[in-house]
Amino acid sequence: MPHHLLGVPGSYPLVEALWLLPLAGAILCWAFGPQLRTLAGWLASALVGASFVLAALSWGAATQTAGAALGASQALGSWLPGFDFGLLLDPLSLIWTFIITGVGFLIVFYSIGYMEGDRAYARFFAYMSFFVFAMLTLVLSDNWVGLLVGWGLVGVASYFLIGFWFQRPSAVAAARKAFVINVVGDAGMMFAIFLIVANVHAIGFGDVFSAAGGLSSTLVFWICAALFIGAVAKSAQIPLHTWLPDAMEGPTPVSALIHAATMVTAGVYLVARSAPLWSHNPQAQVLVGTVGAITALTGAILGTAQWDIKRILAYSTMSQIGYMIMAVGVGAYEGGVALFFTHAFFKAQLFLGAGLVIHALNNEQDVRRMGGLWKKMPFAFWVMLTAVLAITGVPGFSGFFSKDEVIFGDLQFGHPVLFAISALTAGITAYYMFRLLFIAFFGEYRGDVDHAHAPGWTMNVPVAILVAPSVAIGAALLSGGENSPWARFFAAQFGPDMAAIAHRPPAISEGVTSGIVFALVLIGFAIAWWRYASPGAQRDAGERLEGETRGMPAVLVHLFYVDDAIQLLFVRPAQRLGAFFGSIFDPHVIDGAVRDVVFWARWLGTLVRSFQTGLVRAYALILVFGATCFIVYYAFAAGALH
Amino acid sequence: MALVPITILLPLVVGALLYALPRAPLDGVYPEPSRRARGDGWLARVIGVATAVATFAMLVAERDAQWSVRWLSRPFTAAFHFGATPVAFWIALLLALCTACAIATTRVARTRDFVALLLMLEGTMLGLFLARDLLVFALFWDLMLLPVFFGLLNWGEHPATAWRYFIYNFAGGLTLLLATAAFGVIYGSTDVIGRTGAPLVGAWAPWIFAGFAFAFLVKTPIWPLHTWMPPTYSGLPPPMVAVVSAVQSKAGLYGLLAIALPLLPNYVHQYALPLMVLAAVSLIYGAVVALVQNDAKRVVAYSSLSHLGLIVIAIASLNPLAIKGAIVYIVAHGLFSAALFMVLGYVEEREDTRSLLRLGGLGWKNPRLAGALCIAALAALGLPGLAGFVGELVILIGVYQAGYTWPVVVALIAIILASAYLIRLYQDVMNGPEVEDLPVRADLSWVEGLAVAPLLFALVALGVDPAPLLRL
Repeated sequence: MPHHLLGVPGSYPLVEALWLLPLAGAILCWAFGPQLRTLAGWLASALVGASFVLAALSWGAATQTAGAALGASQALGSWLPGFDFGLLLDPLSLIWTFIITGVGFLIVFYSIGYMEGDRAYARFFAYMSFFVFAMLTLVLSDNWVGLLVGWGLVGVASYFLIGFWFQRPSAVAAARKAFVINVVGDAGMMFAIFLIVANVHAIGFGDVFSAAGGLSSTLVFWICAALFIGAVAKSAQIPLHTWLPDAMEGPTPVSALIHAATMVTAGVYLVARSAPLWSHNPQAQVLVGTVGAITALTGAILGTAQWDIKRILAYSTMSQIGYMIMAVGVGAYEGGVALFFTHAFFKAQLFLGAGLVIHALNNEQDVRRMGGLWKKMPFAFWVMLTAVLAITGVPGFSGFFSKDEVIFGDLQFGHPVLFAISALTAGITAYYMFRLLFIAFFGEYRGDVDHAHAPGWTMNVPVAILVAPSVAIGAALLSGGENSPWARFFAAQFGPDMAAIAHRPPAISEGVTSGIVFALVLIGFAIAWWRYASPGAQRDAGERLEGETRGMPAVLVHLFYVDDAIQLLFVRPAQRLGAFFGSIFDPHVIDGAVRDVVFWARWLGTLVRSFQTGLVRAYALILVFGATCFIVYYAFAAGALH
Repeated sequence: MALVPITILLPLVVGALLYALPRAPLDGVYPEPSRRARGDGWLARVIGVATAVATFAMLVAERDAQWSVRWLSRPFTAAFHFGATPVAFWIALLLALCTACAIATTRVARTRDFVALLLMLEGTMLGLFLARDLLVFALFWDLMLLPVFFGLLNWGEHPATAWRYFIYNFAGGLTLLLATAAFGVIYGSTDVIGRTGAPLVGAWAPWIFAGFAFAFLVKTPIWPLHTWMPPTYSGLPPPMVAVVSAVQSKAGLYGLLAIALPLLPNYVHQYALPLMVLAAVSLIYGAVVALVQNDAKRVVAYSSLSHLGLIVIAIASLNPLAIKGAIVYIVAHGLFSAALFMVLGYVEEREDTRSLLRLGGLGWKNPRLAGALCIAALAALGLPGLAGFVGELVILIGVYQAGYTWPVVVALIAIILASAYLIRLYQDVMNGPEVEDLPVRADLSWVEGLAVAPLLFALVALGVDPAPLLRL
């Protein structure tokens, strides 16, 4: 199926409205914050919710086909010939839109209670609404420049929200780091756009995909590689991942929405969206698949060594996105998108559940100072437990189906090494997730908060709603292999064209790989049980945790020294160079060379001082006189040249 | 048609009148001037804003009009010929807008004299950008230095800065005049801007190009001719530096676009590589120096060195798309650098310091001030959706299309550095814990807000729809 006709052209007011409603919410909350007060949260939730309803109503438009066209395409305007902008809602962007507006709605609604009493309450909802708008811009654009605009805007929304409590120096530093690293990604995407425009003379997905067959494979590789720099930065892949754990400085709903469910998966979207480029370029696939797998493993390893509940979840997010990137990299687009879809629910649930705990314990985030919480907060416990079962891939839960599809995809598309890495990662995932659960919720309480204050219904209800999809949506949509509802939904999107790459039947079946992975998950669970939940471990839990803190290998404490390496290789040299240029080269070398001129200037200064009578009118006269002299003089000088 | 010379003369005449008319005795010293002095300043500002707005209206009203009076017929023909070229039209609008915004928020000692100087600056620069004759262009080139010179001398931080500014730029003016005179003699006429004529060739042509190029590169500035610029920008009072960085720095770029490109294209082509190397050095040099400056205005000054290097790269690439992008970026840079300097001026007026080491945490008590600085900084670092991004993107697409890869990579590195130093600038002023010994002042006033709002609005509007600028 040719891809150059991406959507059925037409007028889709619903799509435009669902795109712009959150922007309206942002502007209203921003402009009328003081007047709206607590209404800001309800207004923002209502508009994001309305956007979700419109997305649901657009289902038919998004899945319509006409000839080779799939979905709805609407023109918005043009800068120049070739620079045409428009919206595109097809199955891929529809799935993202559902998560952005659906999970987005639940999280914005949850924030009504979570952010209660904050001094900048309305501003928070303005930023959240703006983020939803920016993210929709990203996934609804029908061209790479529009996508890059959304890409940059989600970056700045993320910056605002990480640094939301901007009186904390740590939040300010985290926001700065996230922003600058993301601009590195933007620069990569810009370079991809230069390559695209120089060779195709257009920015639209459709134009480029239809021309892709005629491009040399080296060129396509470089386009993919440059685009992938954007994905690496935005989706926290190695080595540009270090901003994500720091981003946990933002309020917890922000971590749930932006740094777990949606924005950080933009790299997955980018690769899936550009599938026609990747599908025919094995080198690009290996690059992306490898980076994804290494990220999945690294994130999981670092997740085992954290004590801050949100940082554990952040590394888990990094690891899970590594899985997704690996999947879309090797060509298992449906699997990668499925993991994005299910992950959005259970990771949002994990963060919101952690938010319930943090909120109740007066902003305590250190799991060492928790313990025994299942008695204090049974609701939060059940929320966390179901989400942990989902993320570790216990059969029946949603994560089982999506993770299976991803891991099996490695074999399906001929990458046994990646399969081994991802299966191992699944085991480590089980270990660090149950470690979190056991330390925080089992045993005796080790903190000093007497009365955990219960969150209100506005916080509990959204979390409860999330439990349903993270438990059941996998079984509902993903079971059934080739005939699952999911596969049929994406049949036209990632259909016959993408299958052009090697789709060899692997040596072992999906059932066997599921078994291997589940065995590793059980091992991870068992180690976590033995270390943190067995009666022996429970007895002196406090001391054991202290011992573990002291005995943590330096390489894990320093997070594999990635931050230090970036400082050493890039940040400090740039600062040193700047200091050298600014305080040595400028004043001494350049100005030294023109010192004679300055000397002359001083001499001229003494001469002119005699004219400085302080009368401004006299200056004006001298000015006009002098200018006339110059003109006359040079007019004659020109004559002499002749 | 008659409006064109009036557009130029009006600010000059009003400025001169503001100087010449009798004034209230200057009892009381800023910031606590006497009542009469304050009234005098208010009146001057109202008159000044009205004048600038009037020039804006006249520019819009007679967009394509021209006006000409014969000046010289020997040794070459020259005319007082004015009229906006498409590029000059936008720069002139930018100039009128920035002048109005700057005058609206002028708060310096001897306000009336300062407003008069700003109007003179507007008038001389309008003369420069509307000139269709090279000799007139060169004349106004020198004249526009004088208001800034006097601004630095009387309101600046150190008189040496004034002289440094003047000598550097006047040296450029000198080579410009020499080159213009030689050009006129060889070409027969200097009434050439905006006309399609044969390019200049011959033994003298490289020297003439060199004369133009020196003047333009000093004015922009480009490394290593930039050392007059940081002290000038940090020394000038905010309203004037807003106009100078926004518009006067574009005189050289406009010269390259409107004079060097059409009249001496062979030499731009021939010297493309050295031009690009110098511009690329400026890009990185300005950016890394901006990274470590502790004076807020110097951060923006060095960022200008970096950003304007990009435009020189665009022009040197001779690619039509890059040049379209350059025009967008000229306007965008004017808007965001004016906004940055104005808002940093507000900060300095409130806190009596512009040291990033001293400032901090202002955002809490001054959310509107923080918002204004934030939008300006984001536009400057090329946030997609704002005008600066459009300029950068289109320029670099064009430069890459023209076959230059390394300047594109250098520019992308500079873009990354820009995000680092502009975010640092914003955060060090507005974020972090509140500094205890800094005075707490009121948030952005209505006048201050209205003065900076048009600039920020234009950045958003042109970022969303740059088509009017791209389709020149």
